[in-house]
Amino acid sequence: MSGALALALPRPVRRQIWSIGGGKGGIGKSLLAASLGWQLARLGKRVVLVDADLGGANLHTCLGVPGPSRTLGDFILRRVERIEDVVVDTPFPRLRLISGASDVLGAANINYQQKVRVLSKLRGLDVDIVLIDLGAGTSHNIIDFFLISDVSLLAVVPEPTSIENGYRFIKSALYRRLRNAAPNPAVREVIDAALDQKSTQGIRTPLDLLAAVEREDPAAVARLRRELGEFHPRFIVNQVRSPADIAVGHQLVTACARHLGVRASYAGYVHYDDAVWRAVRQRRLFAEKDPDSAPALETRQIARSLVEGETLALTW
Amino acid sequence: MSAPAETHYGVLGIGPRATPEQIERAYRHAAGLYDADALATYSLLDTEEREQARERVEAAYGVLRDPSRRHHYDVALGLVSEASSPPLAAAPPPPPGTGRAPVVVLPDPVTGPDLKRFRESRGISLREIATASKVGIRYLEYIEAERKDVLPAPVYLRGFVQEYARVVGLDPRPTAESYVARVVSAR
Repeated sequence: MSGALALALPRPVRRQIWSIGGGKGGIGKSLLAASLGWQLARLGKRVVLVDADLGGANLHTCLGVPGPSRTLGDFILRRVERIEDVVVDTPFPRLRLISGASDVLGAANINYQQKVRVLSKLRGLDVDIVLIDLGAGTSHNIIDFFLISDVSLLAVVPEPTSIENGYRFIKSALYRRLRNAAPNPAVREVIDAALDQKSTQGIRTPLDLLAAVEREDPAAVARLRRELGEFHPRFIVNQVRSPADIAVGHQLVTACARHLGVRASYAGYVHYDDAVWRAVRQRRLFAEKDPDSAPALETRQIARSLVEGETLALTW
Repeated sequence: MSAPAETHYGVLGIGPRATPEQIERAYRHAAGLYDADALATYSLLDTEEREQARERVEAAYGVLRDPSRRHHYDVALGLVSEASSPPLAAAPPPPPGTGRAPVVVLPDPVTGPDLKRFRESRGISLREIATASKVGIRYLEYIEAERKDVLPAPVYLRGFVQEYARVVGLDPRPTAESYVARVVSAR
């Protein structure tokens, strides 16, 4: 977590912020967020879904709710004072929504103070779980919401472009976290070099980065290792079509551990199903429309596992 | 990247008491990870790095799958003494908590699709269950599909589901009780 943000925010014990990012657009992330929120509400949790999708806010449509007149933008731009004023009900018990339709979040025009204010007020909401749909990309605003979350979910689909972007998202988030924890400018310079794709220092992975920091400032590396150890993204593999696709989640976890030094886990997978597409066409939440479909049952399983702190693990 | 001193067990991500079955499964996972077209590594490693990783996996598997070579390797690591017997396929299973993932209890009622989802999530094929349990693959398919018209009598079905559960890492008794009770009541 960002050191400055961590100091600014109270962390109540029960209330949790979850976020779901993915780096790439068009992978069904908003549908996942809507379905997870609905399943969490069915499990008895009081949930507020927050649409933070840059330029493509449509969580309300996934839920079958008309575009709300009050949005997160109204709170950011101080058209309303209280964040509660932009929380709207959905047809579903215990599930409410902060819409981001036509809003500015994710763009460069939300400054640090605005971000701290939003995060602080989200943490203050009287709910069990705030679930933020982060939208595509790796901008600082998106990454910061991911980093402050108690549960950081990373959605991918089993396709090369999505996996590539997933890794890019992980590296961006981790390097930002490490940069925020860097104890001095010299270490920050090393991290900046790692972020620079054209750097000639040969830093390709977080493990390379730690080795470079150790050469520069041996005393600083322990702190960065601690940050790395606390960074814990959880994969959801969406739109799987075969057992091999399901296995991609396990492979991502192993690859992260062995080649990035990142302790990721596998929250679960969701099958591709035309029923989801049909539900979207009808502006219905697929999990609610067809609760016995594989995607609905699988998102229920993911919600339950996350609440209980379980992950999919290989049996050896 | 991998530490230079990583053992063959570390390369495959298993403990030194892993059974042959566990070695086989871990090898398939690791080998799949470094396939030329593997989604999880193609953008993470260049060709040379992937080849090196693959060679480490093959070297580890080559030693650990062979009881005699494994024994010599274990002796060299100081895991066993020279005089001890080589680990054979019939070696006793590892004590609870040392090898397998924790046994899981699915919420009641357990359905065929629940079993299938759990199995797939663990990356286990029906063929592997059939081999390990001696239950015919056809019956395993019937169990997952809940083919009530062709499933055997409850007394046999209970045993089959227990075997299925045991292999995939579910608690056999509650899994079988829940599944059979539901299927029998629906007949």
